Amino acid sequence: MLPETAQCLKAVAPLFSQTVLLKDLSRLSTHGGGSHLQARRHLSISHCLTAKARPVRTPRERVDIPGLEAVTYGEKMHYVPGLSKPALPQWERSYKDPRYYRSPPAHEMPLFKDKPCFVYNQRTSALEGVRQALWLTKTKLISSLPPQLLSLSESPANQIPDQDERVQNAIKHARFWDTMEERPGKERYSNTMMVNLLHLCATLQSNHPAIGRRILAEKCSLATTWKRGEDLFQIRGQNGLLHTCMEPLPEVSGKQEVSDTADHVLETFYPVSPTINLQKVNVYKEEMNCSGFRDEYPYPHAHTLYFLEGADAMCKLRPDQFRAKMLMFTFGTALVRAQKLYGPQRVLDHPVTVQAVGTNGRIFQFMVFQLNTTDLSGDDGIKNQVWLEEDVELYDFAKVRPFIKRKQVKVPAGLAGYKPETFSKFLSLYLHGAV
Amino acid sequence: MMALSCLTRALRSLTLSQPILLSSQGVAETKLATHVPGIVLNQCRGFLTTASLKQNRTHWKEREKYTIKAIGMKKTGGRDYTGKVRTHGIGGGHKQKYRMIDFQRLRYEQTKVDQPFDEKVVEVRYDPCRSANIALVAGGSRIRWIIATENMQPGDVIKTSAVIGRMAVSANEGDAYPLGALPVGTLVNNLEIQPGKGSEYIRAAGTSGVLLRKVNGTAIIQLPSKQQVQVLETCMVTVGRVSNIDHNKRIIGKAGRNRWLGIRPSSGLWQRKGGWAGRKIKPLPPMKVYVNLPSISAS
Repeated sequence: MLPETAQCLKAVAPLFSQTVLLKDLSRLSTHGGGSHLQARRHLSISHCLTAKARPVRTPRERVDIPGLEAVTYGEKMHYVPGLSKPALPQWERSYKDPRYYRSPPAHEMPLFKDKPCFVYNQRTSALEGVRQALWLTKTKLISSLPPQLLSLSESPANQIPDQDERVQNAIKHARFWDTMEERPGKERYSNTMMVNLLHLCATLQSNHPAIGRRILAEKCSLATTWKRGEDLFQIRGQNGLLHTCMEPLPEVSGKQEVSDTADHVLETFYPVSPTINLQKVNVYKEEMNCSGFRDEYPYPHAHTLYFLEGADAMCKLRPDQFRAKMLMFTFGTALVRAQKLYGPQRVLDHPVTVQAVGTNGRIFQFMVFQLNTTDLSGDDGIKNQVWLEEDVELYDFAKVRPFIKRKQVKVPAGLAGYKPETFSKFLSLYLHGAV
Repeated sequence: MMALSCLTRALRSLTLSQPILLSSQGVAETKLATHVPGIVLNQCRGFLTTASLKQNRTHWKEREKYTIKAIGMKKTGGRDYTGKVRTHGIGGGHKQKYRMIDFQRLRYEQTKVDQPFDEKVVEVRYDPCRSANIALVAGGSRIRWIIATENMQPGDVIKTSAVIGRMAVSANEGDAYPLGALPVGTLVNNLEIQPGKGSEYIRAAGTSGVLLRKVNGTAIIQLPSKQQVQVLETCMVTVGRVSNIDHNKRIIGKAGRNRWLGIRPSSGLWQRKGGWAGRKIKPLPPMKVYVNLPSISAS
């Protein structure tokens, strides 16, 4: 490229005096050297930019001998071999420039505490999964949904007209008809399907007007603090989709069952500590307790949290870790509400119930959490309860193209293997508190 | 694009009229033609407006904080930082990622110093950077990669202890002890030569050393090469044999597979066979001593 430019310049040359041009050209080649680099690879410069990094040299130790003054080249204003480097004070600009802001070291920050806090956020992948979450929240696991809740969607009055067909249409819409793309991605179709199913459930509002007293909120942030054993824990982060309600959810289990949980022994997982994979911070706010809404918010009671597995493209959680995240955030939402309502009361007279539904677009996780106590420091006493139904499939296959193996169609295109009982579970969680 | 900007820049410097601040790139004004008073040339310093070239630097090795995440590596092609060939026969191959292996098995957590600790194996997997397999172990609130031993499985609990008792311990495979605590004749790997430095010997796939005898605060170990080394008995060692024992039995099959591994063919120049060819019978080298024994004059 540059040789061509020089050619052009030579053609223009007779117009000017020769001396100017030559000087100019030499200037060009020094100052506009960048173009030279592009024309041919200037190996003396470019190779060291791409190759292996120079080994890091540890700076030589400065020895200060009292009474002796080192001869530096500071006064000379330039490097002189043989003289030592002057120790100049760090230059600070007299004005504030946010581009060059340097935060002070952690121990000088105003929020610095000596006691560390373990923070769980929406990207935490807890190694032990649900077991770890159960220990952190002091919870007893019951591995199916409560029967009185499942019976809600059985009566025909609580069912949507043409339920199965409309649900299948909702699935087909999410998987096939949503975009012009060949095959929508998981993040897209799981989100669409969740919205479709919620919309379907909301059509029951004519029968049950209590459904109208709810609202959906996306990505609301949550912050709560609790003590477990000697350690301080926090949940900080963003929920998925939060369904909030004007009235609180009724409690699922009675007083007798709650007092029975005192006999339950929490599972430990020695040699792994329960704080593994949680972020350990020393700079944090104590007594953090915020549901993400103001106090006068008209829908204060959390009803259900909806989690999507592919919502965060930067963070992929395995199924067990995903369920742990669901449990932690459900617990956090309930704890915030309980601390707002009852303050430092140890065992709650009216337990706080929050539900959660997680999906990856095909497989659903259902969870009902009941916060019985906010006294989490010891391992004894009354525990919280969680009902968890894991890995429930809504359908088997939704193929845009048929799956062909050895010239035989193994799975035809379209929706196959729809399971209506999964949606009835979804519906019963939705109707809980409104019927 | 570049040619065009070069041309405009060159032409701009030839303008006869009064210089105007043309370029938005910032203008470094230099008065060039001092002996031609009519013409004041305007010169702008060329610089790149693309992303910083610094991002090409290979800083992946300079990380100080430990992580179990795989770090992207750059191929060096056997070149050192000056760009010259340092090692022949390296180049190409599949892209690899580096996982930080904790060779210092006896690394206490900050709160619990000088107590034996257990760790649970979470995962055993292939590592492109070495012949042996590696294991992800979790213990306490820490998780790290170590070199896996032969029969390590996910779910196993392995122990690390620095206690040298009066009796020799009966160690399970994968446990780490100081040499002084182990019975004579144990198969060991991941040998430290200085206490606390981290293991340096016997880390390749399928290898193991033998603890031959213990003398007077030191231990003598036979390396896989049959050479004997003498180290202090406080040096940590892992019991058992390194994993991936069939590493020497795999079949490369074709020249191209070596290229996948990043090995280039050797030069191909014909060379006369010399003394290096043919059968050699050499005596074993003398025992290597890594113990700073007190000199005779001192005692």
